[in-house]
Amino acid sequence: MKNYIKTGFLSLLCASSFIFVGCSEDYLNDPQPTEIVAESVIFGSRTGVEAFLSGIARRARGQFSSVDAAGVNSIYFARTLKGNDLIHARSWWGFDYDNDNREPTYRRTSFSWEFPYYMINQLNACINGVETSELSEVDKSELIGQARALRGFYYFQLALEFQEGYTSSNRDLPAPPIYTELSTEGKPMGTLGELYDFIVEDLTTAISSLSEDRLGKSYVNVNVANGILARVYLAMSNWDGAEDAANAAYGGNVAAVLDPDSYGNGFDDISNVEWIWGNPQTGDQSNYYYNAPSAFVDPINPAYNNIYINEFFANEFTATDARNTFTYGTATDFTKVTSTKFVFAFSSDIVLMRTAEMILIEAEAKFRQGDEIGARDLMFELQSNRDPMAVKSTNTGSALEEEILLERRKELYGEYGVEWFDAKRLQRGIVRTPNHRIVKTLEPNDKRFYLKIPQVEIDANENIDDSVNSGR
Amino acid sequence: MRTKVTWILTPLLVLLMSFSYGQEKTITGNVTDHEGLTLPGVTVLVVGTTTGTQTDFDGNYTIKASVGQVLRYSYIGQKTTERKVGSSSTISLQMEEDAEALEEVVVVAYGSQKKKSIVGSVTSLGVEEIGNQQLTTVTSAIQGTVAGVNVITSGGQPGSNPTIRIRGVGSINASSDPLIILDGVPFNGNINSISGDQIESMNILKDASSTALYGSRAANGVILITTKKGSYNSESKITVTAVSGFSTPAVSLHERIGNDDMMRYSWEAERNKNIYVSGQSAADAGVNASQSLISNLGYNPYNVAQPVDQNGNLVAGAASQWETDWEDAMLRSAAQRNEYTVSISGGGESSRFFLSANYLNQEGAVRESDFERFTTRLNVESSVKDWLTVGLNTSLSTSKQQFPTQSGSNFQSSYQWIYSMSSIYPLYRRNEAGGLVLDNLGNRIYDYGSTPGQSVNGSRPLLGNENAVGSLFNYDDVNKRTNATVNGFAKIKFSDNLSFKTNLSYENYLFDSNSYDAYDVGVAASVGGRVAQDRDITTTFNFTNSLNYDKTFGDHSIQGTAIFEAYKLKVDALGAQGTGFLPGVKVLNGSTLPEGVSGFVNEDRITSYLGRLAYSYKDKYFIEGSYRRDGSSRFSEDTRWGNFFSIGGSWVISDEGFLANSNTINLLKLRSSYGELGNASTGSYFPYLQGFETGNNELENTGVLLGDVTDPNLTWENQAIFNVGLDFSLLNDRLDGTLEYYSKESIDLIYTKPLPISTGNSGITTNVGSIKNSGYELSLAGRIIQTNNVTWSVGVNASVNKNEITELTQDEFITGTKKWKEGKSLYDFFIQDWAGVDSADGYGMWYKDVLDTEGNPTGERETTKDYSEATRYYQGSSLPDVTGGLTTDLKVGGFDFNMLFNFSVGAQIYDSSYAGLMDGFSRPGYTASPDVASRWTQPGDVTDVPLLLNSQNDFNGTSTRFLFDNDYVRLRALTIGYTLPKDIVGKASLDNVRLYLRGDNLFTWQSHKGIDPEQSLAGTTDSRSSLLKTVSLGLNVQF
Repeated sequence: MKNYIKTGFLSLLCASSFIFVGCSEDYLNDPQPTEIVAESVIFGSRTGVEAFLSGIARRARGQFSSVDAAGVNSIYFARTLKGNDLIHARSWWGFDYDNDNREPTYRRTSFSWEFPYYMINQLNACINGVETSELSEVDKSELIGQARALRGFYYFQLALEFQEGYTSSNRDLPAPPIYTELSTEGKPMGTLGELYDFIVEDLTTAISSLSEDRLGKSYVNVNVANGILARVYLAMSNWDGAEDAANAAYGGNVAAVLDPDSYGNGFDDISNVEWIWGNPQTGDQSNYYYNAPSAFVDPINPAYNNIYINEFFANEFTATDARNTFTYGTATDFTKVTSTKFVFAFSSDIVLMRTAEMILIEAEAKFRQGDEIGARDLMFELQSNRDPMAVKSTNTGSALEEEILLERRKELYGEYGVEWFDAKRLQRGIVRTPNHRIVKTLEPNDKRFYLKIPQVEIDANENIDDSVNSGR
Repeated sequence: MRTKVTWILTPLLVLLMSFSYGQEKTITGNVTDHEGLTLPGVTVLVVGTTTGTQTDFDGNYTIKASVGQVLRYSYIGQKTTERKVGSSSTISLQMEEDAEALEEVVVVAYGSQKKKSIVGSVTSLGVEEIGNQQLTTVTSAIQGTVAGVNVITSGGQPGSNPTIRIRGVGSINASSDPLIILDGVPFNGNINSISGDQIESMNILKDASSTALYGSRAANGVILITTKKGSYNSESKITVTAVSGFSTPAVSLHERIGNDDMMRYSWEAERNKNIYVSGQSAADAGVNASQSLISNLGYNPYNVAQPVDQNGNLVAGAASQWETDWEDAMLRSAAQRNEYTVSISGGGESSRFFLSANYLNQEGAVRESDFERFTTRLNVESSVKDWLTVGLNTSLSTSKQQFPTQSGSNFQSSYQWIYSMSSIYPLYRRNEAGGLVLDNLGNRIYDYGSTPGQSVNGSRPLLGNENAVGSLFNYDDVNKRTNATVNGFAKIKFSDNLSFKTNLSYENYLFDSNSYDAYDVGVAASVGGRVAQDRDITTTFNFTNSLNYDKTFGDHSIQGTAIFEAYKLKVDALGAQGTGFLPGVKVLNGSTLPEGVSGFVNEDRITSYLGRLAYSYKDKYFIEGSYRRDGSSRFSEDTRWGNFFSIGGSWVISDEGFLANSNTINLLKLRSSYGELGNASTGSYFPYLQGFETGNNELENTGVLLGDVTDPNLTWENQAIFNVGLDFSLLNDRLDGTLEYYSKESIDLIYTKPLPISTGNSGITTNVGSIKNSGYELSLAGRIIQTNNVTWSVGVNASVNKNEITELTQDEFITGTKKWKEGKSLYDFFIQDWAGVDSADGYGMWYKDVLDTEGNPTGERETTKDYSEATRYYQGSSLPDVTGGLTTDLKVGGFDFNMLFNFSVGAQIYDSSYAGLMDGFSRPGYTASPDVASRWTQPGDVTDVPLLLNSQNDFNGTSTRFLFDNDYVRLRALTIGYTLPKDIVGKASLDNVRLYLRGDNLFTWQSHKGIDPEQSLAGTTDSRSSLLKTVSLGLNVQF
């Protein structure tokens, strides 16, 4: 009896072991990742690719690495603070304001390099994935168009951050390398000329394949692609191209695309007719306190509240100007003036591109090509829209140029570093008024208009060594 | 087959019942050992019943039994003896020595072995070592007691677990944590769920022959924890322990400056900026600095509007209205610790049990932080038939931990706050004039440094919209853990030589973390508060079937084991977050806006075939081999199977004829082993797959992003381990010791190789390079005095470990403060070399290489003031040269006195907290160390502290300026106890009563003060709270 039981037990247990052995390969194959989706799903349908493009749009407003290194808005706001119009008091962005946040080991330097390249790698994966997919040619062209416009956009940020402003004579300067596919090898530095040529090609190709349709205002359509191209041409002094692209971006009908009454509403709503492109946010999809500019410039809602407006700049606005959102306090120092242009909440949307900018690009491009009358007329359309009491300019020559550039600052301050962008592309330099907390002057083509190459890149890239920063 | 009834689940009932027979009478007697000495504690049992007793201190016993019944006497080290009850009422006897039983049995992988036959490196911690410390996490007991193990405590939050590294660090990216096996089964819960009183032994397996049977998880060493089981044929015993005490941080913090210094220095930094950066005249610079001081700082604690004059002095009559002591506000002066245990153990002839309940409540250094745990365990085992033994170990543990942020750079992080926030910022809100602002009920309001519209005392330049003290009370960070384990086995004995054992275990670990941010102040005030909750369920299923064969014929013994094992780990995570709560509502149901949900399921499976074959000749020569084949779901089908093995042997030299009768050398044993093991503890469950990560939605549109680039051929890390050791016992067993050498080479390391970030990926996880760890370990234990009344023993252990990178696929990696290069260690600092302060202008300087015309270093150095030009050099290491411990144990009569020290010599630490305090006011509002007093102030000053400058500079950039030697000795545990005499406690019907005073971490001698010397393996700091020093009074009663 005892032996029967024992034999029975043994057989049973051994049998169960062997059943396990037989199944062990299945047993090991069974677990599958639940957090990731396979490539075949993404590139198997237009919906899949659109999910990829949605993720890319979301990342543009994420929390990449720090409060001042969050997304596209962080690159923009760092540029803003390098200028004269806003004054930094304390806390985040101090080193950008000090114009010395450019050493190889600093966060600004590595972020402004890593973030665009991160996005470019995603976009390359999207472009290459769609190209080899079974989607229809119509879908392919539209989807690739969106991705190429964005790729051009991010390469443009790299071009601006890591080299002097573009001129026809400095095309051979070293510039960030171009990647068009997944690589685990670092490439050597390219040239500024190559980089701008690549950007223009991406954008012009995109424009030819895009329509006005899109999933939402954070996605790219033909208007956005034209807007990016208008900025690129401005940076390249291609006035003719800038005029056409800017006009196409806003559609050419000034009255239809401006809404002065909403200017004072806080720049927190992407549905505004003036916004061509932006980052939408909601309470459950927010970058929270990483939301530059509003978390910093807004003087009322509790956040950082650490940015003030240069009094001299504020004084340029008439009382009847819809854009006059300034409050003069009792302080006698740089903390005197605040602006309520940007209202902070977790659900505040972030502006990336507006029609007014495009109108002013078109006006400037007309001026640069000798059409001063056209420039004044177009600018006045905007000026009178903003301020019913506005008087049409009679300026000519450099006075008109200054007026256009001032109008750009008045319209766009705090949004994407317009003052820095103009100073850089026109080799003008930036002079700060003496009421600043830190009074620093940037000479034309000052090295501080661009960053050094980050040390983490140098350390890991066999084709770039420390010498890349000599003389930078 | 006997017919005794044994119910597994009701052993208590059985054991508490007494069977009575007729004609019962009282038997008394005296028991002595083989040398004729009285033997206390001998178990005397009436065979066939549960009646039993123990001999007292003088070896006497009294028991009731009937004529014809048999009394069984058992004692460790003596042969069990039986006597039949006859007419006499007195039965005294002398027991005989049991040579077999004297041999210690050690728990090893998948079984146990006689200590003598062990060929590998195993260190055992018993009840004594574990009982001598106040352990919130049991693995802390390893520190200072086991040679070759580096333990780094995790700070002042009770219930957080130490980092343990056995014989160096053998991995870079894969985990280097040892595998923890609880009663034969991999443990995946939180180790803080096990209380020290439950543990019978904790064995640390260090070499290949002892760990090889764990194959792919063995590379980092194994810790085998065995819980108490009770003993067969023993009287049931109840033990009650109560320990209560107080804790404070074990080391004091870096000092910080007060208001007056803060104002003067801040003024000076601003003045210096005006002169040296902005080029103003000295007079203008002073005036401007005075004027902008308050707007720079945002706050003015003084009763005058401009408290510092143009010469940098406080104006006459200026007095502070507040001066906040953040340390005092943040930390407890005395944190309580209370621990109570009740355990019952015993056993009859065919079953044994252990039941324990433990309650612990310990407060942490930071206010509101605490850890409360209730844990219980029931282990039962029964020999149901002479061929069948079954057992079940069960435990349930539940804990609650209030865990406010105590490290890192979150705004609430308490130590960071103490080291950042100047005393000029108030704890409670102030108005522009400096008066307290009260709420409508007249209560003070925590100042969050973000009162828009208030020009002074409204907006802080640092850590805005937060108050870390307020956050302790206004926010909640609660971790709740519930751990249930059921571990059962059945063992079938087919013959004396062949047996089969099946073991099935299930563990369910529920981790619930709940955080609440206040509705009215701080980070989530603008959205009406936030609740975030995560609930992760980790289940582990383990099924082991083993066949054991054991046979001795003549001088030969063989032992063989064949095992099949299946392992399954499943992590099922769920999280939710919402905002908009009414006051007092802290659960998600009250949320107005759901912010997010998350959830995933991850699985890890391993199937394994393994075996061990051991042979010994004359009990003198031992040889043993192990083999394991593992398949893991973490790797692709092509790369998932790995083979692991070890072989080892030992020779008991002292049993050879020429030493057999030596009194000088009692034991001499040489052993050696070699094996190859694996490590598969990748950070991700599917590290070889690249895919699109969900959860990146753009409003209502589903969004995905491409995950990091991966290596589809990723596979195991492998380690080749060689070990040689000598065990000895000298001078009539008065001096024991072990000397060991090991060499561990890890190849195909799983490492995230940095990629140029321009590729869009910052790294790829692949098998890269190899590391070698080698070292010596020595432990000695001496019994210096050994008399009936006085015993004194001293133990010491020390180990030396060398860590060396032996292969890299690229020339070098720079990672943080380290550079990895062949021939260097993972932990050699590679940072800028501080060259002091230029006495001409007060600027900091660093060294840089002088380059020749081709750009190569000439070997000469020069100084530079441009930090970005400074060359980085190798500078010391965060790994100590020697670590170890010292114990001493003295017993005099009823008194006992025990001390445990641990020490570490030769490591360096980079103190970034101190670096922050020496920033020199480049960022207004940050506090500073009083050491800034020796700053440069005028040309000609010779000092090591640069000028104060309110402008970005690199003076406190990473360099040797903040790299310090980090030698320390810590009195880790001290116990003074008194055991009441047996005759006194006997009158109260008690077996044992002991009172003791215990101090943990009472003294720390360290070469660099201001931080806890145990920070991280990498020798970097993270604003982490300090380990606690605890003084307690304890009472232990057994009956």
